[in-house]
Amino acid sequence: MSDVINTKRSKQQALGRYGRVGKTLDELDDRLGVARGGRTFMDKIFPDHWSFMLGEIALYSFLILLVTGVFLTLYFIPSSAIVTYHGSYAPLDGQKMTQAFASTVNLSFAVRGGLLMRQMHHWACDIFVGAIVIHMARVFFTGAFRKPRELNWIVGSTLLILAIVNGFLGYSLPDDLVSGTGIRIAYSIILSIPLVGSYLAFWVFGGNFPGTTIIPRFFILHCLIVPLIIIGLVSAHLFLLVRQKHTQFPGKGRTEQNVVGSPMFPVFMAKTTGFLFIVGGITALLGAFAQVNPIWQFGPYDAARISYAVQPDWYMGFLDGALRIWPSWSFHSWGHTIPFEVLIPAVVLPGLIFNLVFVWPIIERKFTNDNAIHNLLDRPSNRPKRTAAGVTMLSFLGMLFIASSTDVLAKFFNVSLNDVLVSMRYLTVIVPILAFPITYRICHEIQALHGGGRRKTPNVVTRSEEGEYSATPSPRYVDDVPSHLEATPVPTYIHEESDESGDSGVRVVDR
Amino acid sequence: MTSPLFKRCAALSIVSLFALGPVLLFAGGAQASYKLTPYQSSRKNAGTPNSTMVKKNSDGVIIAYGDSSITYRAPSSALVTLGAALFQQNCASCHGTQANGVPANGTSGAYPDLVGLGPATIDFWVDSGRMPAANPRSIEANRRVPRLTHDQALAVSAWVNSLSPSFPLIPYPHLKNANVADGAALFALNCASCHTIEGDGDALALGTFSPSLRKIPSIEVAEAIRTGPANMPRFTGNLSDAQVNDIVKYVTTEIQHPNNPGGFGLGGLGPVAEGFVGLAFGVGVLALVGFWVGERDD
Repeated sequence: MSDVINTKRSKQQALGRYGRVGKTLDELDDRLGVARGGRTFMDKIFPDHWSFMLGEIALYSFLILLVTGVFLTLYFIPSSAIVTYHGSYAPLDGQKMTQAFASTVNLSFAVRGGLLMRQMHHWACDIFVGAIVIHMARVFFTGAFRKPRELNWIVGSTLLILAIVNGFLGYSLPDDLVSGTGIRIAYSIILSIPLVGSYLAFWVFGGNFPGTTIIPRFFILHCLIVPLIIIGLVSAHLFLLVRQKHTQFPGKGRTEQNVVGSPMFPVFMAKTTGFLFIVGGITALLGAFAQVNPIWQFGPYDAARISYAVQPDWYMGFLDGALRIWPSWSFHSWGHTIPFEVLIPAVVLPGLIFNLVFVWPIIERKFTNDNAIHNLLDRPSNRPKRTAAGVTMLSFLGMLFIASSTDVLAKFFNVSLNDVLVSMRYLTVIVPILAFPITYRICHEIQALHGGGRRKTPNVVTRSEEGEYSATPSPRYVDDVPSHLEATPVPTYIHEESDESGDSGVRVVDR
Repeated sequence: MTSPLFKRCAALSIVSLFALGPVLLFAGGAQASYKLTPYQSSRKNAGTPNSTMVKKNSDGVIIAYGDSSITYRAPSSALVTLGAALFQQNCASCHGTQANGVPANGTSGAYPDLVGLGPATIDFWVDSGRMPAANPRSIEANRRVPRLTHDQALAVSAWVNSLSPSFPLIPYPHLKNANVADGAALFALNCASCHTIEGDGDALALGTFSPSLRKIPSIEVAEAIRTGPANMPRFTGNLSDAQVNDIVKYVTTEIQHPNNPGGFGLGGLGPVAEGFVGLAFGVGVLALVGFWVGERDD
């Protein structure tokens, strides 16, 4: 019967080709015009090379920091008011401590999941800063910071500084014996600045050390102000990334004028969502199985107490190391003291290092007279001077980092602490100086190597009819790049999608 | 007008100044060498007695700390004969047959004079395995498996004490009534600056080390506090027996068997180990996952 109404089919027809989701999006597009921007976003091309995933580790560990951090703010009390602890941890029972410390112990022991959240927060922070550093190293060594991306390099470097600062602030919040020592060091560093030091220190601490205002102030900075700036700069970082499009390694079909890679939807979105969960999973594993910063063992901070073998978190290590190994120079005259042994390693040195990082793109442009726009990346071995400079800086920072554990090294290798200290002084100067020519040399050697820096290709072993075996290298290096990187046509806005080859979704997009 | 050559020379000289300056300065600093004293054994800078409960004898030597938290006992005099024999076998080659620090053919002052040090000192050094020393000329006599048994150590201290009866006697702490929380606070105030707050010990200056407290029996902890072996200050009147008792309780319970949730303790190395794990395991594994997820053909 022709007038029998098939309700299901008619409903489907009423909804249109893309079903309920399409209908909703249509409604949104009618009002907000999301189609054009959404399509551009969905078609954003991500190069597939694995080293482009390093920055995502930082992004996702930052998300974990936000989520676990919100949980912690529900239980943490940012107050220096003195309370007497009566809780489940016997060795602290009856001790006087600040509310900040007591609430951190309580959230570790008395709140369900609190210790896991605290440890995940701490591990996510260690991973966050570490991922920023290796992402930055990738950008540096491949020359991705060159014109037109200098601004994004500066935004990223600022993010690194903010991450380090916020890590220090958060590490200080529990007000335990170890972090209190860190705050004291920060106070002394501010004091060491000539002329304004004491005024600045009193301004920051609201009076003399330790005072009662520094924990609430650090709390506001750590949970509100710095994260807001980080979120803003991360947005700017990603906006610039989308606006300027990704860089890519050179290869067949890849030019300065195009980007070859997977589109945001569906390929990259699937990859990156999976990666988000893996970052969360690794952080949760660390939080569950690896103890970090057991503040209950340290006890509350008190200016009269001190523990030996105190180091900061790893990203502050280079500062601590510089402070440890710097010779005791100071200036006393006309009733004034300038402690160069604090001022130089803790104020001047990081200032110089970060300024060098900021202006590096300009320095390199000046040296190479290269003002062209670069979208294709360098192999590190093809830019020996830049690579050597980067390795020099990293080895310098690495030596300072190692110097922050002089006592641990002395204990571990059973040698005199003084000898370790003196050798670290020499090594911090000598290793970077040696690193430059060695790296330079290695880069040249790699350049001369056939297929250097590429994966090794298998040899094809064949057996002849006589039973003789022979091995021939597979001819990968002859045509160098797999054929599936041939450019495929790109669908443009609103046009119906043409049938694609379905070959891993790799596309080429004009800039 | 400055020539580019001049500019380049100036830049080069500034760079080389920065590079070589620290080297020269450090080289200068390294010349000021330090002198080592065997066992750093000065006992003059020991803790200041300020407690009114402290009782002294006519020579000004502390004989009691005024409360009953710790029982001080001299080793039994029945052990003296055995102790004399053990001393001649194990100790006399350095400390001399009369325990006065003068070995046969030796000069006075080369080794510590043991007469009048008190049985707690002798018992601590022998019972902890530090004496007989593995290497008498090393800067430190480190803790190791004791050569003599506990009773033999007592016998040696009984014989040395019989030469000139002296204090402190061997402390036997009564841990039942001790307060762990007070012990924790006193530990942070008095001990953590060398032994670290977790009691793991660490490297001190000039090749000396503060030992780990993870396996030290309670009597030795009390002996060390009261006698101040090697670099350690001697805590006398500034800690009452009740306070020493609290510290011993804290060390033998919370330091040695910590209630320590949160997963593997990462060797008690603190942020060094944490940074290593965070970078190697955290960032490293995630980078490997990225390597797995991403394209790696070129």
